[in-house]
Amino acid sequence: MSDGESTVIVRTVARVVFPLVLLTAIALLLRGHNLPGGGFIAGVLTTAAFALVYIAYGLDYPDSGLFGRAPDGVSPFDSGPGLVDGYRYLSAVGLALAAGSGVVAVLLGVPFLAQAVVFVEHLPLYGEIEVASALAFDVGVYLVVVGALLTIVAVVGAE
Amino acid sequence: MQPTPEILFAALGLPFLGALLVPVAYRALGERVADAAAALALVCFGLLLTQAGRTGTVAVPWIPALDVSFVLYLDGLSLLIALLATGVGVLIFTYSGGYMPGEPGQARYYATLLAFMGAMVGIALAADLVVLFVFWEITSVASFGLVGHYRETASAQRAARKALLVTVAGGLFMLVGFLLLRWASGNVLETATFTLVGTEGSMIANAEAMRAGLREAGLFTPALALVVVGAAAKSAQVPLHFWLPDAMEAPTPVSAFLHSATMVKAGVYLLGRVRPLFLPSEVAPLESEWVLLVATLGLVTMTVTAVLAVGATDVKQLLAYSTASHLGLITAGFGFANHLGAEAGAFHVLNHALFKATLFLVAGIVAHEAGTRAIDELGGLRRDMPLVALVTAIAALGMAGVPPFNGFYSKELLFEAAYEAAHEAGGIAWLFPALAVFGSVFTFLYSIRFLMLFFGEKPELLGEVHAPPYAMLAPPVVLAGLAAVVGASPQLAVDAIVGPAFGSAVPGPPEHAMSVHLPTAVTPPLVMSAIAILGGTAAYPFYGRLHVGVRRLAAGPVSADRAYRTLVGGTERASHTLLARTQSGQLRTYATWVIATTVALALAGYLAAGVVLPPFTGIGLAAPTVVVLAVAVVGVLAVGRAPSHVAGVLTLSILGFMIAVFYVLAGAPDLALTQLVVETLVLVVFLLVLDKLPAFYGDPDRSRALRDGALALVVGGTVSVTVLLATAATPGSPISSYFAERAPVPGEHGTIITDFGGGSNIVNVILVDFRAFDTMGEISVVAMAALSVLTLLAMRGRGEAE
Repeated sequence: MSDGESTVIVRTVARVVFPLVLLTAIALLLRGHNLPGGGFIAGVLTTAAFALVYIAYGLDYPDSGLFGRAPDGVSPFDSGPGLVDGYRYLSAVGLALAAGSGVVAVLLGVPFLAQAVVFVEHLPLYGEIEVASALAFDVGVYLVVVGALLTIVAVVGAE
Repeated sequence: MQPTPEILFAALGLPFLGALLVPVAYRALGERVADAAAALALVCFGLLLTQAGRTGTVAVPWIPALDVSFVLYLDGLSLLIALLATGVGVLIFTYSGGYMPGEPGQARYYATLLAFMGAMVGIALAADLVVLFVFWEITSVASFGLVGHYRETASAQRAARKALLVTVAGGLFMLVGFLLLRWASGNVLETATFTLVGTEGSMIANAEAMRAGLREAGLFTPALALVVVGAAAKSAQVPLHFWLPDAMEAPTPVSAFLHSATMVKAGVYLLGRVRPLFLPSEVAPLESEWVLLVATLGLVTMTVTAVLAVGATDVKQLLAYSTASHLGLITAGFGFANHLGAEAGAFHVLNHALFKATLFLVAGIVAHEAGTRAIDELGGLRRDMPLVALVTAIAALGMAGVPPFNGFYSKELLFEAAYEAAHEAGGIAWLFPALAVFGSVFTFLYSIRFLMLFFGEKPELLGEVHAPPYAMLAPPVVLAGLAAVVGASPQLAVDAIVGPAFGSAVPGPPEHAMSVHLPTAVTPPLVMSAIAILGGTAAYPFYGRLHVGVRRLAAGPVSADRAYRTLVGGTERASHTLLARTQSGQLRTYATWVIATTVALALAGYLAAGVVLPPFTGIGLAAPTVVVLAVAVVGVLAVGRAPSHVAGVLTLSILGFMIAVFYVLAGAPDLALTQLVVETLVLVVFLLVLDKLPAFYGDPDRSRALRDGALALVVGGTVSVTVLLATAATPGSPISSYFAERAPVPGEHGTIITDFGGGSNIVNVILVDFRAFDTMGEISVVAMAALSVLTLLAMRGRGEAE
């Protein structure tokens, strides 16, 4: 990245592909309970989307382009772009969510991390929908994977 | 009467709780935390005091699967040690309040000291060998931290390491000894047990059978020797005594507490405790391995270290050698088979704690107020601190064994025990009393030398000497007062605390109550005492020459410390050589060693287990699979020939994508999806960092290429073998059928289902439900890895590892 700008082709493709990849990732996350997909895959895919942005626009872009912050927002760890802090919190929140979903199970008197499924019926448009408590856990997995991998990518990329 | 479980557990638990709270308390109280710690020690002391006179066990299960229970046993001996730990603890914390201000790391200091005190109470009260061992090691670790309290000084670091290595290595010997005992108990008792004392099925309750069982297996002497090695390392017995003088690097209150009054007593306590196990009640002195080993060890230590003490140049060093010498006296006491020996051991545990802790505290006052610890530079301190001089006189004369001070009585008991043993066995056994008297001459010499710091002329170089603060003065005064009371009326101490303690170290019920008083007739032990005192008095004018002679002797080739240095130095050099080869700083070297080791371990495991490869039944692959795998192989071959990084990475991803296709063909869409996205991410990340990598695709030399190729082949072979072996095993009812059954939504269901996974993607249901705990662990690892990368890269520039 250091030597020169990326080509227009890369930038344009990245701009188009980025939201599509994110959408796919979220779809994979949500349908994971019944069809191929799940938190881990969705997390890796999301990371890949961000990595693409890094390649095309440089490491400071998500910070300055998306949040309008000055690129000098350096993390206390003094390496990687300022968003690294955000990534760290993301994985922490994910871990807390995953563990928390297990603790809720304990509070309800079942073993740690036991999951249940609730069927909500008579909804408009959808009719019957299945809500799995496992989704909370899966979202936790997703957040951890995204946060951790992006931390690594951003820090290593900044070197 | 039975002890109260709550009180015993409280006395044991409070110090640890206090240790946890110290960092917080230090913020709130500052240096007053010393008083809080002293108060806590006082509470523990009081709690234990309420249990005086009670005997019995209290238990809670700890590791039921291994039959390890948290059994506490209280009797005279354990009460004596526990009271010493907490009682001296009160004084030490008070003294620290005067000694430590201005020193670094005070929160750490008080926390470690409290934890140590708890561990010491634990050693005293543990009835179970595993519990005992755990507390034993905690005291070693605490000692390590406290000896190395001045972290920045190289000598403190060396001393701390030495103390840790010697005591922990000894502890490991002891552990093996404990395991032998447990094994033997399984043979002779109804159930194998770790319980040493206190219950019906304990080892000591069945000592006769245990001894017979051990002898039958030829393990009596090994088990005894192993336990004794552990005790000897802890109690600084020759030849493992050399760590104790170095441990004087610790702040003086620590030396007084750990390295004279309590921790080093753990070893002799253990000897007293296991004495009824190894020593039959009726035995001739020279026929018992216990007497031969322990009494000899004790007397040799007593003499050798007393001589070395005369060669000491530093006040604390003198006291350290003297401590080893007196521990030798206690060991020797417990070593003799007669009752007198046990009496000498138990009584001297108390006496030594009283006078030696006093003297250490005095040494601390001297160093603190006069600014030096060198014996030659000190003298005439009596004028500046008369009260301290009085205290020293009481303690030092007790140490010298002069009547009517406290040390005299226990030394008389030892002389009597040695004399009785020699009288009974005759012949070479007369060396016992001779050695005891010889050692005592030197004990007298160095005791008087210490006392003379306060008398005679004050050297001119010695500057202003201040009076010590009250917090530092009160503890030695209390201790010396107690020592004086014991000296004036020994029977009082015996009735109160020593008598029951002596009973615990005797096999079977004691034949008579212990009684101690000033001798009224001329007896052999009195003559021995007289020889020691008169000999010492006669030799004192030549102290200077003796001092030089001892120093010359100690610098000779025979030195335990030298052996230790050779051993540790050799290990260090070997480690450096090995490190340079295996961890060169180049990733390739690390990878080579790690991979080669893993493969070697795996293959060695297969060889050791004698596994047989499943028979070859032909290849049953569909045509598309063969094509995909063939493409993958071609891709791999191409990687080796890739001219640049980009080409290499792209070619490598051919392999990855082919594997994904293979998964699809094999009916694993989830795996395929994962493989695809991971492959994509890896590719993208590679592109991100690629132009930073060095172009290391130069021409490898032939030998390295061959070596790497061979390693790759072996790794591939090992993995193939592993896969074949792992897949060959088919359990009767595979768990996959359970998953397939439970994962989907069942045909008929209510609004809420909990016992089924409720998802038709079995893989995901396994991940988030059946095996959610595993997933939890995995995402923790992922988060940890990210933090590690962040920390490693961010810390790299900070030079933390200077």
